[in-house]
Amino acid sequence: MILDSAAVKGQYKSGNRKRVVWTVAFVLLAIALFLVTLGFGVFKISLVDAVKAFFDHLLGNEVDPRVDEYIWNTRVPRAIGALITGAGLSIAGVVMQNDFKNPLAEPYTMGISSGAFLGATLGIILNISVIPFVPSGSMVVANAYVFSLIPVAIIALFSKFRKLTPMSMILTGIAVMFLFSSISQILMVTAPSESMADAYSWRVGSLDRVRWDAVPMMLASTVVLSVVLYMFARRLNVMYVGDRSVKTLGENPMTIRLVTMVLASLLTAGIVSYTGTIGFIGLVGPHVARIFVGSNNRYLIPASAAFGAAFILFADTVAKVSGINGLPVGVISAMVGGPLFMWILIRQRKNVWA
Amino acid sequence: MELSINDVCFSYSSVPVLHDVSFKLSGNELVSILGPNGVGKSTLIHCINKILSPTSGTVLIDGKDVSEIKLKELAKQIGYVPYSANDSFPLSVIDTVMIGRHPHAKWGTLDSDLDMVYDTLRMLGISHLAMRAFNELSAGQHQKVMLARGLVQEPDILLLDEPTSNLDVRHQLDVTKMLRRLSREKGILIVMISHDINIAAKYSDKVILMHEGSVYSIGTPREVITAENLRTVYGVTAEITDDDGAPHVILKDALPMDEEEEGLPSPASSGHASAQTS
Repeated sequence: MILDSAAVKGQYKSGNRKRVVWTVAFVLLAIALFLVTLGFGVFKISLVDAVKAFFDHLLGNEVDPRVDEYIWNTRVPRAIGALITGAGLSIAGVVMQNDFKNPLAEPYTMGISSGAFLGATLGIILNISVIPFVPSGSMVVANAYVFSLIPVAIIALFSKFRKLTPMSMILTGIAVMFLFSSISQILMVTAPSESMADAYSWRVGSLDRVRWDAVPMMLASTVVLSVVLYMFARRLNVMYVGDRSVKTLGENPMTIRLVTMVLASLLTAGIVSYTGTIGFIGLVGPHVARIFVGSNNRYLIPASAAFGAAFILFADTVAKVSGINGLPVGVISAMVGGPLFMWILIRQRKNVWA
Repeated sequence: MELSINDVCFSYSSVPVLHDVSFKLSGNELVSILGPNGVGKSTLIHCINKILSPTSGTVLIDGKDVSEIKLKELAKQIGYVPYSANDSFPLSVIDTVMIGRHPHAKWGTLDSDLDMVYDTLRMLGISHLAMRAFNELSAGQHQKVMLARGLVQEPDILLLDEPTSNLDVRHQLDVTKMLRRLSREKGILIVMISHDINIAAKYSDKVILMHEGSVYSIGTPREVITAENLRTVYGVTAEITDDDGAPHVILKDALPMDEEEEGLPSPASSGHASAQTS
């Protein structure tokens, strides 16, 4: 069957409209889950009361000060943290998978999580601050941020001296990861039990620690870097054709790879420094979005962000009501997401990656 | 449009691949590069489009050295269709071909770009695949999609690395014939690497026969494709007949392998080097 030009164009555009519709659906889902998660936590406040308190505060209406205090100062920043975490880590995942043409790549591929964890343990266990004059309350965050960027810096530095293939970049990242993990392990075994518990809770990742003081930095970093990365969407599409062909299309593949990799690492660092290393979403968020919107980065980036936000909001809601005082979201996201992802892989008829 | 290659040499670390390659080509032609495995055909192409930089010598386009032309500018002048072994990525055919428009990217050209993509797919007889996922297609269909990508780039020079290797005979003839027609209609220079001597002989305006890293013979198919040349370059005996004015090769036998060939750069060594340069 031969289609005429208008039919093909029509199909192409309607396909793209469907991608936008899916993205909007994920955004609406995320908004709904944002409100839902306000109703769950250690203290029992009904969902309706919680949502009402949220809007009353926004509109400046009278609210029971105890409810207001709890909803506005604890649950709202935590929900914003969940939204940022899911969106940011998913975008970083899209970029990493694209840069390395590897479906297993994720925000932590470059050793970011091990770096962040080493920085955090240095602060938690040894009370060492890598940046002088940081107030003690921000020490762990600052340490984690700085250390999370070291592996990427090493890779970027290596690439100055010799030509690194995408695969050797990943391998370098893995080597640094093992090195950093082993140092963290040494610190952990020699640590007193209470600081070890703190370090462990940092390791699994939790949104407990996200309060208003963390929101401006997390939000600003995530929004700015996400927008900048989205401006690379078209060039990231070009990267699909392989390094040699990328050159003949007028772009330098290594420059795009290094720049977007560093941006994605900064994006990840700006989140995990506050939350600890929340895994899984950066790997799975992009893959789930891919199933709905395909791999054109102009649609994949926003859809992954929206899906990731919705997913972490959901996982954190489950995390808050699990156990006696809640469980870390890092654990729940993998526990809920693992089976979900397996189900999707089995159900999926066409091969979305390659 | 004049492409001029002057004394180009190229080595992968210490293994020399090309030495003293020189020739001039100008527009509206289909040129085939022939030669045995590992002789440096792909390396030569890569030196032209800056995937590799020659160790010495220059490549000039209209008198301008390509090493001084920015990648972005060069992409508007030279298109490239790689040898597609297992290139696979998760985009639709239409989005894949649209990537070829990248060097000309501007806002608000979606409709005209889509028209061009459609017309190109139509010309190659694969418009029905437009909405399919690229990685669901066969190797031959991949090759046509990649060719479409090269064509929508609207280059003055189009370099093709074995563009018909995965196609069946009918499509080999069809695509090669179309390439010749395109060189005329669009006034572009098309240079393709080929392993099918007869198809190259039938449709090419010029043939470049490579031997041991340099140009052994260049000229019309009739001048270049002779029993003697094939014997030297490929190590085969052959009988040449006439097919409507073009030489037609009937292969007879392979000469016994001699020790000298061990000294040639093997495909394995160039594969290794390509990992470092990509």
